Amino acid sequence: MLEGLVSQESLSLNSMDMSVLERLKWVHQQQQQLQQVVSHSSNNSPELLQILQFHGSNNDELLESSFSQFQMLGSGFGPNYNMGFGPPHECISRTSSCHMEPVDTMEVLLKTGEETRAIALKNKRKPEVKTREEQKTEKKIKVEAETESSMKGKSNMGNTEASSDTSKETSKGASENQKLDYIHVRARRGQATDRHSLAERARREKISKKMKYLQDIVPGCNKVTGKAGMLDEIINYVQCLQRQVEFLSMKLAVLNPELELAVEDVSVKQFQAYFANVVASKQSIMVDVPLFPLDQQGSLDLSAINPNQTTSIEAPSASWETQSQSLYNTSSLGFHY
Amino acid sequence: MNTYNMVKQRFIKKWINTLHMLDSSIEHPLNVTERKNAIRLSSDLAIAAARSGSTVWSRALISRSGNKTTNKPMARRILKKARNRMKNRCRTLRRNGNFTAKVGVRKRTEFLKSLVPGGELIDDKDYLIRETLDYIVYLRAQVDVMRTVAAVDLVTGNVTNDRRNK
Repeated sequence: MLEGLVSQESLSLNSMDMSVLERLKWVHQQQQQLQQVVSHSSNNSPELLQILQFHGSNNDELLESSFSQFQMLGSGFGPNYNMGFGPPHECISRTSSCHMEPVDTMEVLLKTGEETRAIALKNKRKPEVKTREEQKTEKKIKVEAETESSMKGKSNMGNTEASSDTSKETSKGASENQKLDYIHVRARRGQATDRHSLAERARREKISKKMKYLQDIVPGCNKVTGKAGMLDEIINYVQCLQRQVEFLSMKLAVLNPELELAVEDVSVKQFQAYFANVVASKQSIMVDVPLFPLDQQGSLDLSAINPNQTTSIEAPSASWETQSQSLYNTSSLGFHY
Repeated sequence: MNTYNMVKQRFIKKWINTLHMLDSSIEHPLNVTERKNAIRLSSDLAIAAARSGSTVWSRALISRSGNKTTNKPMARRILKKARNRMKNRCRTLRRNGNFTAKVGVRKRTEFLKSLVPGGELIDDKDYLIRETLDYIVYLRAQVDVMRTVAAVDLVTGNVTNDRRNK
């Protein structure tokens, strides 16, 4: 029965011309389903473990999100973390050579977002034995993964298509049905259908998708086009973040004579509660712009960094630049780089 | 952003552990610079460990941190899963000057490679960008958490910031 569900759903999602709204709805549905599933399965921890183990889930985020429900985390999570989850992680490390890993964080940022054509799976996963829960969680994790795999240009990836309740197949839309070792691209009306232009078009689409991801992650990419400009923004952002880490570590070193930090006083639960509060208070804003959650969070963090300045929160493109400058300016700690 | 919060939570847990390990294995007292380096090292190891997949940057970060410190066994102990396949191939960072607008894509990619840990080992430009994006997510988590910890009032244990009331 489950296999029938999978195959039926795999047939129904073929269009990349799904509107953004439909995609958002679909992803939200998946999220809700996932939450239901996870909360529902919190009583079936051994079975879920077995399922995950059986499928050789390569997805640590999935595991950890599930396990967090089972309250297996906590003080025993230290150096024994990896040993405690030995068997599942064996399965994980098996597929570690796959290039799909960076995709895991794509969904961290973009699970509400992007175009979805099909859900990409790793080579070693067997779609026909996927359970409903696994499928749902995989959708959550891999919801943008299909484009990643196509962007990778690996035509060898075995992929299955995910279901979509709102998907519509248009004959004029270009779609990539990825089955086994082939990439089938349907040509748009009036376009050339020879092999080279098809491949070229597929490549161009992948690149444009990647640019969209970039714009979501790196604030300020919206205004810049072209490869050099985007790379500039990325370089700037990475440099800025690294400098922030340097600064913050120096600040922590100064504030704490011992290396204890205050981390033990502020327990992990407090951190979690804090973050939950922050998120909850910002949710009204975030709902409106689901595609740019990091932008929102980044710009809202300014007030903590600029306590002495009254810089208004401007566009995200300027936010982190002013942020880094203010970090330098307000450092009254008297240290030198 | 539930999953981003999960990223941060994972980082916090790893960071606490690495700090404990570091604290137990080095001598006190330290001056400020050494403390800063220790904090930075533990934090970098923590983000690399929190990135529990097989990304190039996380492995390179681990190996780089392992080379910088004498505590190689500790680094390996923290990160049991990550195999140091690139232990000897990771070079130090090259910090170039800023680019003018006329510098092409190629030089920028090379500069980006020098920024992202393990970037020099990646030939495919597409993959480099994906690694970079992944790395950026975890860098952000690191910055957010460290900023929160730095804002903690040591006496009362409360988190002092203005963000809560926005």
